[in-house]
Amino acid sequence: MSDKRNDAHLIQLTVNGRVHTLGVGPQATLKQVLREELNLTGTKSGCDAGDCGACTVLMNGRAVTSCLVLAAAADGAEITTIEGVAQGGELHPLQKSFIKHGALQCGFCTPGMIISSLELIGKKPAPEESDIKAALGGNLCRCGTYPRIIKAVKDWRSFEGVDLDTEPSDEGERDQIRTHSTVGRGVPRYDGPDKVTGRTEYTADIRLPDMAHGKILGSTVAHGLIKSIDTSAAKALPGVLAVITAADVPALRYGVSPARYDEEILARERVRYVGDEVAAVVAVDEATAEKAVQLIKVEYERLPAVFDPRDALAEGAPLIHPEEAEKYARNINTQVEWHFGDVEQGFAEADCIVEDSFVGNRTYQCPIEPHASVARWEHHAGKLTVWSSSMAPHYLRHMLSRIFEIPQGDIRTITPCVGGGFGVKAEATPLDLCAVIFSRLIGRPVMMKYSREEMFHHFRGRHKQYIDMKIGVKKDGTITACQSHILLDGGAYTSYGIVTAYYAGSMVPTLYKIPNYKYDGYRMYTNLPASGAMRGHGVPQPRYAFESLLDMAAEELGLDPFDIRLRNAMQPDTMTCNDLDISSCEFTATLEQAREQTGWNEKKGKLPPGKGIGVGCGGFVSGAGYPIYRSKFPHSNALIRLSEDGMAASLYIAAAEIGQGCNTILPQIAAEELGIPYHRIWLVESDSVLGPTDLGSYSSRVTLMAGNAVRMAAAEVKTKLLEVAGKQLGCDMHGLTARDGRIFVAEHPRIGMDWDEAARLAFSADGPVTGTGHYSPPPGLGGRYKGAAVGTSPAYSFSTAVCEVTVDLETGYVTVDDFYDFSDAGTVINPVTFHGQVEGGIIMGLGETLMEDTLVRDDGSLINPDLHGYLVPTISDSPRIVSRAVESYEPRGPFGAKEIGEGCLPPILGAIGNAVYDACGVRVTELPITPEKILAGLQKNREKTGRTP
Amino acid sequence: MAFCDFKLHKPESVTEACRLGREFGRTCAYMSGGTELLVDLRSGRKKVAHVIALGGLKELREIRRDGDTLHIGAQATLSEIAEAPLVHEVFPALAEAIVTMAGVQIRNLATMGGNFSCGVPCSDTPPITCAAGGSIVVAGPDGEREVAARDFVLAPRTTVLNPGDIVTAIRIPVQPTTSGASFQRFTMRRGSALAVASVSAWLNVEQGVITAARVVMGAVGPIPLFAENCAASVVGQAPGDSVFADAGALAAAEAQPISDLRGSEQYRRDVVAVLARRALACAAARAEGRTS
Ligand SMILES: Cc1cc2nc3c(=O)[nH]c(=O)nc-3n(C[C@H](O)[C@H](O)[C@H](O)COP(=O)(O)OP(=O)(O)OC[C@H]3O[C@@H](n4cnc5c(N)ncnc54)[C@H](O)[C@@H]3O)c2cc1C
Ligand code: FES
Ligand code: FES
Repeated sequence: MSDKRNDAHLIQLTVNGRVHTLGVGPQATLKQVLREELNLTGTKSGCDAGDCGACTVLMNGRAVTSCLVLAAAADGAEITTIEGVAQGGELHPLQKSFIKHGALQCGFCTPGMIISSLELIGKKPAPEESDIKAALGGNLCRCGTYPRIIKAVKDWRSFEGVDLDTEPSDEGERDQIRTHSTVGRGVPRYDGPDKVTGRTEYTADIRLPDMAHGKILGSTVAHGLIKSIDTSAAKALPGVLAVITAADVPALRYGVSPARYDEEILARERVRYVGDEVAAVVAVDEATAEKAVQLIKVEYERLPAVFDPRDALAEGAPLIHPEEAEKYARNINTQVEWHFGDVEQGFAEADCIVEDSFVGNRTYQCPIEPHASVARWEHHAGKLTVWSSSMAPHYLRHMLSRIFEIPQGDIRTITPCVGGGFGVKAEATPLDLCAVIFSRLIGRPVMMKYSREEMFHHFRGRHKQYIDMKIGVKKDGTITACQSHILLDGGAYTSYGIVTAYYAGSMVPTLYKIPNYKYDGYRMYTNLPASGAMRGHGVPQPRYAFESLLDMAAEELGLDPFDIRLRNAMQPDTMTCNDLDISSCEFTATLEQAREQTGWNEKKGKLPPGKGIGVGCGGFVSGAGYPIYRSKFPHSNALIRLSEDGMAASLYIAAAEIGQGCNTILPQIAAEELGIPYHRIWLVESDSVLGPTDLGSYSSRVTLMAGNAVRMAAAEVKTKLLEVAGKQLGCDMHGLTARDGRIFVAEHPRIGMDWDEAARLAFSADGPVTGTGHYSPPPGLGGRYKGAAVGTSPAYSFSTAVCEVTVDLETGYVTVDDFYDFSDAGTVINPVTFHGQVEGGIIMGLGETLMEDTLVRDDGSLINPDLHGYLVPTISDSPRIVSRAVESYEPRGPFGAKEIGEGCLPPILGAIGNAVYDACGVRVTELPITPEKILAGLQKNREKTGRTP
Repeated sequence: MAFCDFKLHKPESVTEACRLGREFGRTCAYMSGGTELLVDLRSGRKKVAHVIALGGLKELREIRRDGDTLHIGAQATLSEIAEAPLVHEVFPALAEAIVTMAGVQIRNLATMGGNFSCGVPCSDTPPITCAAGGSIVVAGPDGEREVAARDFVLAPRTTVLNPGDIVTAIRIPVQPTTSGASFQRFTMRRGSALAVASVSAWLNVEQGVITAARVVMGAVGPIPLFAENCAASVVGQAPGDSVFADAGALAAAEAQPISDLRGSEQYRRDVVAVLARRALACAAARAEGRTS
């Protein structure tokens, strides 16, 4: 905050009932004053432009975006923040309702959602769904909790005077009953109470004594050579502590995959996209750092740039990484050439061949929480602590260790709660690296954050793919061959792109039996922000192409879309043509249930014009079979220690809670295996000094991998207690069972003892009762060909999604009315978080299919790096959703579980595309399916047939 | 981005506000809700040395009936306007337009004064106010004047306001019972979003014949655009589908859209044709008392 005391205004604010008299600068927003001066960090910051609603507070009883209120102009106002909603330690019924309905995931939007809802229920205590949608249309939730928020707000009065407990909600969400006491039950989220009260700490909420603030300057040209950098004016600005350029940082290149470390901390000679980092400033406060960054003058020699992977591949195109001209010849960053079986022969056997070209979109994960990082060099033995909004803190630590040449053991990474990731926070960012450099330089803790615009520049969003795909099908629907040629727009750097290029090919044959398959993939460098890993990593766009082609083939052959899918559906215990080992698989059951429960046979082809129904399928890995860099370490690890009185167990893990719910699932697994109720677990998480390594929350790996590690740790503890109990009870420990806080003889349940008593005996005899667990995927997964590792996994998920749409035949506007999802995710550990993931995936997929795209000007700058130009779905766009678990039992998963977080997204695009086609006869092959494209298609159809559809 | 350095002034009277505005001239900006101004200041689109907050002028917050006009104080928030029973009684189409705008948190801050004064082509209240035949009351250093709403915006982000002028009220004539109006807007999503195009239609229907019409288009031209040919084509006609469809096509031809991220020029014309037809049909139904 600008420290111009002479311009300061003396104001009075009543915040949560307390009167504060404050001197505030003219530029201070209400949000800043609440967060920085009053330390009320429950009010979040997501955009600073009124678009996201995360900063919503009540001002004189009305919900307002506090980022658009000047504090000095709000003199005398009465403010309620999220911290003021619970009264006297008692949660507001609305907060309880949010927890019980699972109306939160990452929690970053939650304070704003609750505040906006409070204004509504104040005016209308029994709101209808339409009221809730109208009241919350300005609050974005990227996790897609909208359906649950609607339920929670509708139902809030049921929680008046009700005590909050940890009992599972009886929403009837349990689809299949197994004989577990905690696993399979919708217990409320472990992080729920903190998230609804604003107590949860995210990285930007960290406050350390003497903390300084940094800011990075991005390039203004898309491709150029740096001629000079003049930092003198920035250095001269009062409050500036240091300014750095490439000359001041380690020269080592970094990235994600060792095979392609191609990023510089700050650009040395060349900038490769608008936003490429060239210099950075650290100052006493954020505003000063922001001002100083603007004072740095950089002279560039502009070079010709390419913004389209097709141009990048052309002969004579400017090279984006000329210093490695051979390695990246023709701007090809990664090339994949796969051929399994014999596609020539496969197509020769086909009765029908359909092919088309598809173009994807550059969608952005757009978590509501902007990236943030805090670094502090310790005065103790050269150690470093980094707090980062990271989904994969282990990789961050690995990279920090490499760049700064210090052992991993000397680095402590702490992941405060992450406000949504979806793949965008899975690698070390320039924020992390610059914060570390600055902190060493000035000897103070340093916080660095991206603005919403900078997030779009840093990107790492979805690769835009240019897909030519062809499938061959026999009359009866049997697929004989598939061939695809894909160009991926990688942007200026590799990020996770090697893996993306492989995933775009490897996951096609996992869903249907494809005997002959050929894939040629080229990930191209362009002068755009780097693409990376986004939910469903590389898979959704090829899946869209495939699901579209399947429907086209079915139409040509006169088959029902379900019949063609059922005919080819993957079966359990199958080795795919590309050597992926499918174990459990209830894909057929998902198709059958979907067809039956959606009334498909009565609707398909029988709905009035403008109404349509469509099906799409998909699935994903339950964790990657191999880590990003070569390592023999177990992928997930866990530690459990019992409290001395035996009443609680502490679970130490280092997976990252990004909203997906691992901090609830893992305690459930621990509780189940230990044989105690869920509420007796303490979670100690996300701190590399406390919890053993976990590779992180990517590739949908945590439930299966960390779940197995936790179960193993719990089993070790349990064995110790059974031994003690066996002695005590005078019986064979192998005949004992632990459950619900008791240890008893399985055959004679009345013979037993309290669990905690056994734990006390164990402690008294041998000291701390602990257990450790670890998990590595089965060795030898995958084939022997180049790139065979990508796509390997201990297990695969499968799902079928059906949607119904209404297309406005005059404007082309698509309304998604209903979605039905049938997922085989193995055993569902927690139905509430499971269905929450499905709903969120549907809503994110809906945005991706219908409205999202980052747009680029001719000079490579971004047209819509903000949340009013880049539109994501709001609560009003959220369809009715029915989600059903079609459980399989996965022998490699904990209690039979697989994954749901990523696999729920890929089916969505095809389901919508096929429904739109059913509704209006227009097949849009270029995403997103905008109203404009539909209208153009309708026009074309009219010209062809000479009549209206 | 950080705000530029500015001083904040909080005048307590209209006179003082005007005086400050004249004194600082182009180096200052007035602020009502701040929902447009603060975004512009943060993005660097605007740079000023002084911000003059008008929130203290409580007398400009009133919504009242003045004889045969509805008087909306420039400082009344969009939410207050949309909730005011008087607005629903006199000109419900305005409330209908407002609730399509932004989200609640913005409408709780934003004002109609600001929505007019920013002169942004996709502002939603100017077209419907123009359709109602409304006017804008401007107080300046030299006194007060009333400007027809249709004459208020001159070009994108340019209005008739001179340094020191502030909007104090929006005035809308009480509508004849034989009239009806409708606001139709098209956006790329259902929640808060800026308009791709909007059409406001106002009709007077007597004994089954349209006797007067105004059709105003938003977001498809540099200023709120009157679709004169479209309006003229329905006058003297009985309300009917084909009349309105033809009129819609005329409106599309009269629009002057640009291509941008929200839609191409041609698509916007296509949408205007549909919106104009729907707005006319809805306005006619209301004029004839067939719907509310
Ligand atoms: C997330 C978001 C969504 C939005 N959605 C919409 C939408 O759907 N439709 C829409 O039309 N707008 C939208 N807007 C824009 C904005 O909210 C509106 O234009 C609003 O009405 C502006 O009013 P205000 O009081 O906040 O104006 P301010 O920001 O205070 O001022 C806007 C401009 O008018 C000047 N000004 C303000 N009051 C006066 C006055 N009384 N006299 C003279 N000059 C004055 C200011 O100097 C400034 O240049 C949106 C904005 C945001 C942030
Ligand atoms: S931070 Fe205020 S609306 Fe996004
Ligand atoms: S829970 Fe809403 S943004 Fe994550």
